[in-house]
Amino acid sequence: MTLSVLVVEDDRDIRDVLRASLAAEGFDVLTAVSLSEATALLDHARVDLVVLDLGLPDGDGAELVRRIRRSSALPVVIASARHQDVEKIELLDAGADDFLTKPFAVGELLARIRVALRHRGTAVQPAVTRYDSGGLVIDLDAHRVERNDEALHLTPTEFRLAACLVRADGRVVTHRQLLTDVWGAEHVDDVHYLRLYMAQLRAKLEDVPSEPRHLLTETGVGYRLATD
Amino acid sequence: MANALTPAERASVRRDVVGVVVAVAAATAVSAVLEGVVSLTSQAMVYLFAVVAASYALDRVGAIASAVGAVTAFNFFFVPPRFTLEVEHRDNLIALAAMLAVALLVSTLSAALKRETAAARASDTRSRQLRELAAALLAAEGEHDVLRIGSGALAHAFAGPVHLVAAREGVVGDHTGIADDVARGLQCCVGEAAVLGPGTGRWPGLDAWYVPLGPRGNVVGAACVKPAVAADAVGREHAEAIAALVAQAIARLRLAAANLETRAALQRQHLQSTFLASVSHDLRTPLTAIVAAASSLQQQRSRLSAAEQERLLAAIVAEASHLSAVTENTLQLVRLAAGGEAMRLEWQSVEEIVGSVVARLRARPDGERIGVRIAPGLPLVRGDATLLGQLVANLLDNALKYSDGPVRLVACRLGKRLLVSVKDGGSGVREGEAERVFEPFYRGGGRTAATRGAGLGLALCKAIADVHGGSLAVGARPRGGSRFTLALPIEAQPEAALVA
Repeated sequence: MTLSVLVVEDDRDIRDVLRASLAAEGFDVLTAVSLSEATALLDHARVDLVVLDLGLPDGDGAELVRRIRRSSALPVVIASARHQDVEKIELLDAGADDFLTKPFAVGELLARIRVALRHRGTAVQPAVTRYDSGGLVIDLDAHRVERNDEALHLTPTEFRLAACLVRADGRVVTHRQLLTDVWGAEHVDDVHYLRLYMAQLRAKLEDVPSEPRHLLTETGVGYRLATD
Repeated sequence: MANALTPAERASVRRDVVGVVVAVAAATAVSAVLEGVVSLTSQAMVYLFAVVAASYALDRVGAIASAVGAVTAFNFFFVPPRFTLEVEHRDNLIALAAMLAVALLVSTLSAALKRETAAARASDTRSRQLRELAAALLAAEGEHDVLRIGSGALAHAFAGPVHLVAAREGVVGDHTGIADDVARGLQCCVGEAAVLGPGTGRWPGLDAWYVPLGPRGNVVGAACVKPAVAADAVGREHAEAIAALVAQAIARLRLAAANLETRAALQRQHLQSTFLASVSHDLRTPLTAIVAAASSLQQQRSRLSAAEQERLLAAIVAEASHLSAVTENTLQLVRLAAGGEAMRLEWQSVEEIVGSVVARLRARPDGERIGVRIAPGLPLVRGDATLLGQLVANLLDNALKYSDGPVRLVACRLGKRLLVSVKDGGSGVREGEAERVFEPFYRGGGRTAATRGAGLGLALCKAIADVHGGSLAVGARPRGGSRFTLALPIEAQPEAALVA
């Protein structure tokens, strides 16, 4: 069955390019120029993924993300300009799956869409519990971490942090989400915990910690695990 | 009648009476002692001496009284027939008249002398006050200061209540704490640009002088003075002289401020036009390349080989990403310059920031030239990750652009600072160019022809270093090439008491 992508974007040129590129990849493409149009399409058409532009003429993208999250796990990828960083993080915390900073290459968009689509209907699918890429294996069920076939020891906090990223399965996890999940809601502003523990994790899991291949930084937003 | 006299007048009368009695008694005593030793004429001289002394010391009434008293006493005690007031000889009448004349003359002369002395003393005091005021005003740093100093000078000179206000465009400024009627008087004085009050012919019924600060057409304020001393025409002129000095000081400050403003406006204008020129150059160059490549593909595709088409497409992508970087730099620089962009200050790991920038640059064809060495266990720094990332990206981009060899990034700790340096083997920075490369829109001499777009990048780097309380410096390397060094302050590290 062909997957259907809804592109919410008010600029006609960008909309046309995205329509053409996604159609070339074999998606059914629906487009909306405003939040109200997007809402109407979501109510009446089958949509498997939403690409949502920020700064729409009739309102706040966050409202749409919350609305979608109330009723489904429909993947949402945010496309935003750099100065919308704060809004972008809010949307990720509100349940959006991933983001792209404008301008972006079509290749990046397709990669994000692929990652996000893996989670289509996560609610009924078993959660991801294993990461295996480039010689690094993190197995949450077996509570085991290996690098180049060598078992590694992680502290409990390091393991919880790694586990959050593994479960996200390549999607970005915001600072807030990581801090809440690993240290608890009262530490939501203690970004330095993340800096210190990510450095420790990278020292153990990466070949060259200063140029990580697995534990990627999304500057100002959060972290993600690289996917092949 | 005595009740109608003021205390000062009563004191003056008392002084006259005592003075006359003492002078006449003394002369009588001396004459009595000299009785029989000297002639009557010499005795008359003693009285004359007493009259001269009294006339000098007392006022005109006292002088006349002393002359009459002296002649009467001389006549009564010494002129035959003695102990009567009859005068035998015509000579004695002449002596009496002469004594009266001398008394009046001496009294008039001494009074004039006293007046002149007092006037000279007052004039001296006034010019000293003006000199001191002028010196004090020179050191004044603002209008408020000037008004304070002027008030002090007026209060000191006239020992009465004083109010000074500044005015602009004929309207009195801040007059808080000044009674409404006084404020109205000050406004009126500014409006009329003339002295009002007693003795001026304008509003003589007022109980104070209202003196404009500055001449008609350039009134910069007004003063209200209620003189307790020197309430005469000379005093008023003195008040006007003080007002003129204060007005000059205010006018001088305003002129200086206007000059400064004009210069700043010119500088802004210059900056703006260079900025526009630079941005339009930086934007137009990649745009031209994109338009040329895209239109070539659109119109000549059939005649282009597959490899040429591929090259044009690659050029479009590369130029577009360059355009994106230039736009991002421009926007950030404008935001930082405007000061409106709130930074998101958080604890940052330099290793992490460098890592994500390098990962992005590695995707470029020349990205493989970058080498990174980061000292282990670097402390965290407080900063905005996006801005610091942009700084590092610009330094690396710059180094890749202006050199062909390896580009090295080194991060380490030096005392209380965290250093990030980017070294290249390019043409380097020339002598005297070091500081200028950070000026917005500056393009290095060796870099004009073939290269582009660095103008804003380094200026932004410097601005970002500045807002983080750090510094950015450039130096030449001994064997060619340049080294840009970012120094960030290391603050007390956050507490990291965590569960392992």
